[in-house]
Amino acid sequence: MTARLHLVAPQAPHASPSRPGAAPLLDAVVTYPAGQPFPVTSTATHDLAAHWQHYGDRPQATGRAGPQLIDTIEHLALAGRGGGYFPTAAKWRAHLRAGGGGVVVANGAESEPASAKDAALLQLRPHLVLDGLACAAEAVGAHSTIVWLHAGAHASHASMVRAIAERRRAGLVEPDVRIAVGPERYLSGESSAIMRALAGGPALPEFRRVPGTSNGVPTLVHNIETVARTALAVRPGAPLRTPTSLLTVATAAGRAVVEVAGTTPLWQVLDGILGLGATAAQQAVLLGGYGGAWIDRSTFEQLRADEASARSLGVSLGAGVLLPLHRESCGLAQTSAIADYLATGSARQCGPCLFGLRAVADGLAELVELRARRRDARRLQHVLAEISGRGACHHPDGAVRMVASALRAFAEDVRAHLHGTGCQHDGIGGFFPVPAGP
Amino acid sequence: MARHRREPSTRTLRVNPVACDGIGICQHVAPNLVRADSWGYPIVSGQTLGGADKRAAEAAVASCPRQALFVVVAQNAPQPR
Repeated sequence: MTARLHLVAPQAPHASPSRPGAAPLLDAVVTYPAGQPFPVTSTATHDLAAHWQHYGDRPQATGRAGPQLIDTIEHLALAGRGGGYFPTAAKWRAHLRAGGGGVVVANGAESEPASAKDAALLQLRPHLVLDGLACAAEAVGAHSTIVWLHAGAHASHASMVRAIAERRRAGLVEPDVRIAVGPERYLSGESSAIMRALAGGPALPEFRRVPGTSNGVPTLVHNIETVARTALAVRPGAPLRTPTSLLTVATAAGRAVVEVAGTTPLWQVLDGILGLGATAAQQAVLLGGYGGAWIDRSTFEQLRADEASARSLGVSLGAGVLLPLHRESCGLAQTSAIADYLATGSARQCGPCLFGLRAVADGLAELVELRARRRDARRLQHVLAEISGRGACHHPDGAVRMVASALRAFAEDVRAHLHGTGCQHDGIGGFFPVPAGP
Repeated sequence: MARHRREPSTRTLRVNPVACDGIGICQHVAPNLVRADSWGYPIVSGQTLGGADKRAAEAAVASCPRQALFVVVAQNAPQPR
């Protein structure tokens, strides 16, 4: 993948030493070749000295500055970047209305296996993450902060340990920060699972009668990118409405993280990463991650790297993942592998998810292996309709959305597979490798 | 000044899917409110409960060995007279 890389230069909107808030998060493409946990990139990791050089001091949000900070974040329309795009200021105000204080968590358990943007930020811009975390905590009156990571995220973990130690040595005045580690499971990054784990329970989702509440310590959970963008948003020169997006292009060769202007067409992002003309060779793109949706190429070519543009076409950028499917590959086979992974990744707490996702995965496997008949296809549709919305978390909903979109996008292949002939795609271009376990 | 009257509340039957083990007693006690999915787990429609349904819902809640069912009472917004 490195050999075919073309740098997609992010638009640097009027960044300057007096306007550090307008600087990009990442000023170069960051690649993670398949099987390699460390990033390959031309941009250096910012230690504390480099961080200050690029972005200046962290504006504090104590005392009267706290409410002002929330107003600023609201004015800039910062939204959550874990996939939900929930307005960040609204989340902070809700936390304050519920009493404030408590703990702020930066969620680095990037449980979207295809996404690498949060890992890139944790490893290359650790001080932006820690700055943003401190600001969020000060704004809502929280006295302690946590960076939540998967057990196996060694590179991110090491980066955070180093950065926290640097800040301690420099004597920075900020809320207490520590690292907490969860199991290497898909659902370890789910908000209620994090809160449950921090309260001493298992890192599994918790059912809430009233959504958005928790029984213990008031806890605010933010995606890593949201926190890093907060750090820029509080600095002079921060532009309105976040003009860039952080995307991950995921293929069999590896993943590439790139920051682009929101006006950039997504096909240009694919061509920029995979080589000129690459988009034309694709059949469809899975947009958003494993819980996202398959988009056929003609719809994909209308999309820009901007959530509003995606929503206007009825889709979402989600966690910013682009997983292209080559025209010679079988979309049902790729979907089947992902569905199997999602089924294995169930928390196994709710019947409809535990049994339903397994039934969906088995149904897809049958279809791919030419063992399915029309009644099996109808059964699959029935199961999809049955399980959505009936779990304690949104895991089954994402899986249903992804599979349903696959059956629509690859409808011709479904017919060919049901007919017993198969779809004649031989998989040139490879499939994105799906992890074996949860 | 407008006078406000206490408006009636709406009741809906809901299930905690983590606590639920798919035992199925609720489906027998309140067959109009609860049906079984392909694996025996309860599907509750989320409709507003009226009249006899309210009693059936309370019976279903009481009958669950896992205490997985509950009734949500939502106060309607007051209307000025």
